[in-house]
Amino acid sequence: MGAMRVIVVAERAGGEVLSVTREVLACGLELAAHAAADVEVLVAGNRIADLVRDLARTCAARVTGVESAQLALYNGEAFRQGLLQVLKADGPLLVCLPHTAFGSDLAPRLAAALDASCITAVEECRFVDGRPRFVRAMFGGKLRAEIVSERSVTVVTLVPGAWAPLPRQRAPEPRWRIVDVQIAPGGSRTREVMEAPGQRVKLDDAEVIVAAGRGIGDPKNLRLLEDLAAIFPRSGLACSRAVCDLGWLGYAHQVGVTGQTVSPGLYIACGISGAVQHLAGMKGSRVIVAINSDPRAAIFQVADYCVVEDLVRFIPLLLEEYRRWSEKGSLQTSRTNTS
Amino acid sequence: MKILVCVKQVPDAEAPLSVDPRGDWITVPEGMVLRMNRFDTFALEEAVRIRERFPGREAVCIHSVSVGPPRVREVLKKSLALGADEAFHILLEGEGFVSPFETAGLIASLAGADYDLVLAGVMAEDDMQGLVGSLLAECLGYPCATAVMHQRIDEDARRVSVQREIEAGRRECLELDLPAVLTVQSGINRPRYPRLTDALRARKQEPVTIEAGRLGALAQRERLVSLLRPRRSTRGVFLEGSARDKARALLQALHEESFL
Ligand SMILES: Cc1cc2nc3c(=O)[nH]c(=O)nc-3n(C[C@H](O)[C@H](O)[C@H](O)COP(=O)(O)OP(=O)(O)OC[C@H]3O[C@@H](n4cnc5c(N)ncnc54)[C@H](O)[C@@H]3O)c2cc1C
Ligand SMILES: Nc1ncnc2c1ncn2[C@@H]1O[C@H](COP(=O)(O)O)[C@@H](O)[C@H]1O
Repeated sequence: MGAMRVIVVAERAGGEVLSVTREVLACGLELAAHAAADVEVLVAGNRIADLVRDLARTCAARVTGVESAQLALYNGEAFRQGLLQVLKADGPLLVCLPHTAFGSDLAPRLAAALDASCITAVEECRFVDGRPRFVRAMFGGKLRAEIVSERSVTVVTLVPGAWAPLPRQRAPEPRWRIVDVQIAPGGSRTREVMEAPGQRVKLDDAEVIVAAGRGIGDPKNLRLLEDLAAIFPRSGLACSRAVCDLGWLGYAHQVGVTGQTVSPGLYIACGISGAVQHLAGMKGSRVIVAINSDPRAAIFQVADYCVVEDLVRFIPLLLEEYRRWSEKGSLQTSRTNTS
Repeated sequence: MKILVCVKQVPDAEAPLSVDPRGDWITVPEGMVLRMNRFDTFALEEAVRIRERFPGREAVCIHSVSVGPPRVREVLKKSLALGADEAFHILLEGEGFVSPFETAGLIASLAGADYDLVLAGVMAEDDMQGLVGSLLAECLGYPCATAVMHQRIDEDARRVSVQREIEAGRRECLELDLPAVLTVQSGINRPRYPRLTDALRARKQEPVTIEAGRLGALAQRERLVSLLRPRRSTRGVFLEGSARDKARALLQALHEESFL
């Protein structure tokens, strides 16, 4: 058996390596340090020599460009075929990908082909007796599991944002190569990438976003959230994917990986459980308030102010208190005091 | 045309969870609220829509399958009420973490070369791995598209055009030869309530049970060593007191943060 190797599969869009790749690199180097392993980055595409060279100049790993005209657009079958031509599993191997639409589609294909284990959406690695335990969310983020691989080859996908991106550093001797590969036609063909259908609600300018989750229970309760939003000068209404799926609000309002990414001053999550895919779109908010009837809801792990209440009762009470307070003028008074 | 839909039984998101004494899975006490994985309800509805699109000619037949202990028969009964023609229960005794390779291997072994289309959810709400559908495709040697938001099977049922959802709601358009596996993303359709005729039929119809031991399986490739409650975030404060106290405290905090 050979020495351990760590492979980082880069994500590319057009002629650019996506920044999430540097997060995967950071994790790859962390894993390699524990196993005294070498790290190699693989980038698949067509005519990518410039991009491969640039990447090699800014990181401490060998970069291999896997080239074919069939790899210009992402296609799971073609990418698997191409990468496998350089990814021979002759010895222990750890393959790291980002947990994005790209990585989560490609990882199981590689794992099956390499006879490997596959662990997705990893947020942290803990080392016990030198062996990595991969930590990931389960049950809507209410619990975290530590999983170990029982194979010598392991494929993992890493949640974007979980590792700080590896800073760009000038490599004294950049190491890179291009491998031309042949891709046989498979059972699927990627045609094109389309922009998101439909208009999006502009949430960028909002200083305060009030967001609805399935926990609002009934679309008529959206009124409560609108009334809450109205007490702030520059506010907007957003929601979780579940609310869009139910048809309570349009997809234009969706926040999360497959919706919009927002970072307002204040994000008020009402009846949102806090799935990683939702958090990805709002974690950058300066202040987060969560109103949820379940004290164990994962949203409380990221909230600054946690309110365990039934929102249908709580929001009217909050509005009533607000009106009472502003009528007395005490809000205004104390504002002039503090400013 | 034959369609297989994978359905998993999961605890309801709001069900209180407790970790079993071995620390490697949740306890599933009698009476715990369990339901069909939401993503699978979208997959099943999509199968029903395909059947409606191809009326008459060659009937579209929908089978559902679930792997797990006897309790999962409940979701299979539900799948019949929602329009499946037949339901298959792969009986795998015991509660605990199951490697997605094992699940996929069992379903593949049952499916054989019998289906033109296999649908799974993009992710199970309990283990959240998003692997079983893709691995099933690998076991069967079928092309696969994940996170599908739109599908259309061509008239002669040899190909399917799909849109898979990628970041920020953009979509990748691809075409797959049948047989194929699609993992279905939520929002692809709006699942209906059971029709009365299906509900009545489902009440009488029993799922077919096959013991896992009689099917070819893949070995576990991962082991769950522990299941933990997340560390409490260090930044958050839980507001205390009555609902009104909390409302006041929150207004005060938002005022101090200069939002009000
Ligand atoms: C590939 C992929 C991409 C995804 N992309 C996104 C995305 O971009 N954005 C997104 O949001 N999701 C996305 N999801 C879905 C995500 O995994 C969750 O399913 C979704 O975010 C759940 O929405 P929710 O929190 O509104 O609903 P639930 O998870 O059902 O949570 C409802 C919450 O409301 C609480 N509640 C219930 N009643 C009350 C009450 N009366 N008062 C107060 N609280 C109450 C409950 O305790 C619970 O915590 C994606 C999933 C996948 C697989
Ligand atoms: N035990 C199971 N029985 C039937 N289908 C399953 C099972 N586990 C997973 N699936 C299917 O695979 C999808 C993805 O599950 P997972 O890989 O566990 O996230 C689910 O949405 C189901 O369609």
